Amino acid sequence: MLAEAKLKTFLDLVQQSSKEELLWMSGYLAGVTASPGVTAPAAEAAVAAKPAVGKVTIAYGTETGNSKRVATDLAGKAKKSGINARVVSLDQYRLNDLEKEEYFLTVISTQGEGDPPAGAQKFYDFVHQTDKKLPKLKYSVLALGDTSYPLFCKAGEDVDAQLQRLGGSPLVPIQKCDVDYEDEANAWFQSVLETLNNAASPASAPAAAPAPAKKTGKKIYNGTILTNIVLNDIGSNKSTHHIEIEAEDLAYEPGDALGVVPKNRPFTVDAILKVTGISPEEKVTHRNSESTVRELLQDKVNITYLPERVVKKYAEVVEQDIPATRIDLLDLLRIYPVKDAEQFKEVLQILEPIAPRLYSISSSLEAHPGEIHVTVARDEFRINEELLCGHCSDYLSEQKEGQPLEFYIHKNSQFKLPAADKDMIMIGPGTGVAPFRSFLAERDATGAEGRNWLFFGDQHFATDFLYQTEIQSWYETGILTRFNGAFSRDQQEKVYVQHKMQENAAAFFEWLSSGAYVYVCGAKEPMSVDVENTLLQIIGLGAGSSPEEAAVYLEQLKEEGRYLKDVY
Amino acid sequence: MSTEKKNLSPIEKIKEVSQGLRGTLKESLKDEITGAIREDDTALVKFHGMYMQDDRDRREERAAKKLERLYTFMIRLRIPGGFLKPEQYIATHNIAGENSTGVIKITTRQTLQLHGIVKAKTKPTIKAFNQAGLDSIAACGDVNRNVVASANPLESPLHERIYQYADRISEYLLPKTRSYYDVWLDDEKIYNKAEEEDPLYQDRYLPRKFKIGLVIPPNNDSDVFAQDLGLIAIIENGELKGFNLAVGGGLSFTHGNPETYPRLATEIGFVSTEESDEKLFKAVYEVLTVQRDFGNRADRKLARLKYTVDNMGLDVFRAEVEKRTGFALEPIRAYALETRVDHYGWGQSYNGLWHYTAFVENGRITDLPSASLKSALLEVAQTGKANFRFTCNQNVILSDITAENKAEIEQILVKHSVIPHTEIASPVRKNSMACVALPTCPLALAEAQRYMPELITKIDSVLANHGLQDEEIIIRMTGCPNGCGRSVLSEIGFVGTAPGHYNLNLGGDEQGYRLNKLYKENLNEAAILQELDVLFGAFKQNRLPGERFGDFAYRTLLN
Repeated sequence: MLAEAKLKTFLDLVQQSSKEELLWMSGYLAGVTASPGVTAPAAEAAVAAKPAVGKVTIAYGTETGNSKRVATDLAGKAKKSGINARVVSLDQYRLNDLEKEEYFLTVISTQGEGDPPAGAQKFYDFVHQTDKKLPKLKYSVLALGDTSYPLFCKAGEDVDAQLQRLGGSPLVPIQKCDVDYEDEANAWFQSVLETLNNAASPASAPAAAPAPAKKTGKKIYNGTILTNIVLNDIGSNKSTHHIEIEAEDLAYEPGDALGVVPKNRPFTVDAILKVTGISPEEKVTHRNSESTVRELLQDKVNITYLPERVVKKYAEVVEQDIPATRIDLLDLLRIYPVKDAEQFKEVLQILEPIAPRLYSISSSLEAHPGEIHVTVARDEFRINEELLCGHCSDYLSEQKEGQPLEFYIHKNSQFKLPAADKDMIMIGPGTGVAPFRSFLAERDATGAEGRNWLFFGDQHFATDFLYQTEIQSWYETGILTRFNGAFSRDQQEKVYVQHKMQENAAAFFEWLSSGAYVYVCGAKEPMSVDVENTLLQIIGLGAGSSPEEAAVYLEQLKEEGRYLKDVY
Repeated sequence: MSTEKKNLSPIEKIKEVSQGLRGTLKESLKDEITGAIREDDTALVKFHGMYMQDDRDRREERAAKKLERLYTFMIRLRIPGGFLKPEQYIATHNIAGENSTGVIKITTRQTLQLHGIVKAKTKPTIKAFNQAGLDSIAACGDVNRNVVASANPLESPLHERIYQYADRISEYLLPKTRSYYDVWLDDEKIYNKAEEEDPLYQDRYLPRKFKIGLVIPPNNDSDVFAQDLGLIAIIENGELKGFNLAVGGGLSFTHGNPETYPRLATEIGFVSTEESDEKLFKAVYEVLTVQRDFGNRADRKLARLKYTVDNMGLDVFRAEVEKRTGFALEPIRAYALETRVDHYGWGQSYNGLWHYTAFVENGRITDLPSASLKSALLEVAQTGKANFRFTCNQNVILSDITAENKAEIEQILVKHSVIPHTEIASPVRKNSMACVALPTCPLALAEAQRYMPELITKIDSVLANHGLQDEEIIIRMTGCPNGCGRSVLSEIGFVGTAPGHYNLNLGGDEQGYRLNKLYKENLNEAAILQELDVLFGAFKQNRLPGERFGDFAYRTLLN
């Protein structure tokens, strides 16, 4: 009944399994066949052309670029055979991800005295030192080396041995290659592919249970900060944080935003408590929810840079003349003190909730399962006036790795990926690149075939090229079709994204004419205005039309949902 | 010739299909996604005098920030014989300030190089040099590189005449391709293969770099035996008779690869220039063609002329050269080398002009607390009253100063403390040399120029403990075995093996006739100083009268 390949796999599995394992399997299969609703494995098997394995990570450690080239080539081949391969450099690879890996291929070269490439050192040390078991892991190592050295392919051998020690099982044995590695590498990958295609693993988990029905109101996630790094290099005027957060049951789509309610600084809260003499543990009700005074001040109400309307109400409560201005609560309390704790309770009632801040999500669940990433420019605040800026940016950028973070998902149905076969032009200077990282990661992970063109800009190429190596990877693997970078302060005359659009006007219009979607993210002014004007010029030039006609063309793009902005 | 096509090293293919060293350089320069150039182009850009490098100190941190390596370019000028006019020096100074790290580096092959030039600034830099009449053509790559020559006009009344051979040979051996002009200088001319026909380099160039040096005995300051082709001026009765030809020098080797070795050039004959220079140029040219046709194109580690000479055998090699020139080389003529060091301070040459040799530690022209050398040189150049000559010992000679202008130049040097800086430096420091190494050199295994000054300070104090502080000892350091610091031609040589670790070589001679030998492997600083302490103690006690440290080590330890 079973096809030969399947039968072989099945028999192999049976042969390799203990009695207990066989009992478990028979029970499992009985359950699967008895439950009428669960047909996932069967459905999967029905699509005969689809390989059994959907996703593979190919991690490379390179010194000269050879491993990288091999990894990139292999990923291309994998994609052709329907397997989605994520290529990642070991110097970018987050070590904790190893536990989550199921199919993991690594291409690693050996340097000097049997050492790994510098960029792979951390990974190399990690697999030697960790004791975390990797029972899920199915891996194989492609070791590049040079037989003229005494310790040929030693780094690859070491990694292979360690992955095995940690409980990983080799998909195919390690392949060691000499300087002319192409043939061996291809042969190795061929056998990896065959193994993967035959790995109709019946144990693969049935489709994850659908997320519980959404309750009304926004779902609050309790996440943990995994990573918080500054993307800008030394010498930059900017400080752009890349923050990765892990949370259970995450659900979001590229284009959505992460919402955070920043908390107030405990130091300020303490000072307010002291100055007013109110008991921190006293319960109060504020806007229909009860909490202690301390909780209220720390987590719920805005106490910094109060708007004039609140200051005015404060004046009424304390019955003093206060000029119309914006001021922090603590300063108000010091200059125009409340009579007593009771009066401060009245003040509490006039305080407004802390406004949540939104950040474009820069990750994709397809590419970064279980995670959500944001790109936060410190001292740049998206919603309100300038002095307010920094409050939330600071709050997020100050979060240390391992700390908890409450957040929610802010859906943005206006800013979504087009159909998989549509072309996209993305214009996202500065932190405006965030959603496009999400877009590209998603299109990479899902194998969307539409072309992608990214315009990025910032002050300096050397220090401010956000996500440069990731963008390069996408470019090398062909996900990103075109890239243009505008670095305003690297030369005498300022160069911005719109100048790069202009330089490429003909190609830009060609893309537009063939149905490309245009996305703009970043500062509303002046960027998005300049970009729009340039867009009109490009249309006018390309279509040979008058300004009025170009405006109509743009209007039509908007109506077709092909000109989308997320600007702030 | 014997190398089959499929065994050719990958670089050979890149050269062959490069359309006259153009490759995809123009496209690479336009790539906005990276500060690097495309991989094949990194091999080609060398032929245009540039290396792509990156700041190795910053790799790890930048990778974590998802930034690529901090790529920059080093541009090395072609300055035959190390000679610059003052206005050319001013231009170099200004370009260094605008486009590079600001430090002007005098190389061990008496040219200048600038580091830290980002991709976008490479073209403007080359353009600015071009306006000053300077170029970087063939300063690196598998071609004849900068031709060096004894630098100091004090050496001989014939210096001017002999030094000019460096310039002429350099011109003579330039590749014919115009790619330098259309890639870097936007010369719009369309590539025409026939116009650029290159009978010397063809489309494969040489198997490996090629270095030529001229020397005017008795000073071997250009280390003539370290060259692929050394030309030793033969002066008899005050007249230039011609040159002895020495072939197959080269100091590089690879740790752990016994097939590689440093080698001194071997003299194969004499060529007269009394009637004309034709024979000399012919002989030089054919040495290159023999290397072109017989050199190893499969393994670049075995591709220098020294291996070709050893593989063919000296007699066969000479016969092949003679077959191609159509004349026999004459027997080697006698000459004597006495030293290899620069004559620091003032000196007057035979024509009455004055020359001041200033000490530049490891060739780094920059303003230091002890002496504002960079400011001083600029100011001297601005007077227009001195030429600049760079030496293979990485120093600068302010030259050709008339007696009436000498005081003005001296005043500038005093004002910027260049004179005390030169005078105070210990004999060991003044005779030392180090290559660039970390953080920019991709080959470096250990520090060199960043570390050498402090090591010299420590060695000075060990010497002083033995009362040897006035001893002249040639100490050289190189960050890897490729030998830019010519470490194996020193009395005490350090060859980097790993961060903080060096092989200690001993026993070179004063004149550069003898390679040193490996004495101890893989020493850290403490071990180096301890070894030297013991060695200096033994030297003090057991040296023969007037014996130099290198000769002592060779006599007592290495034989």
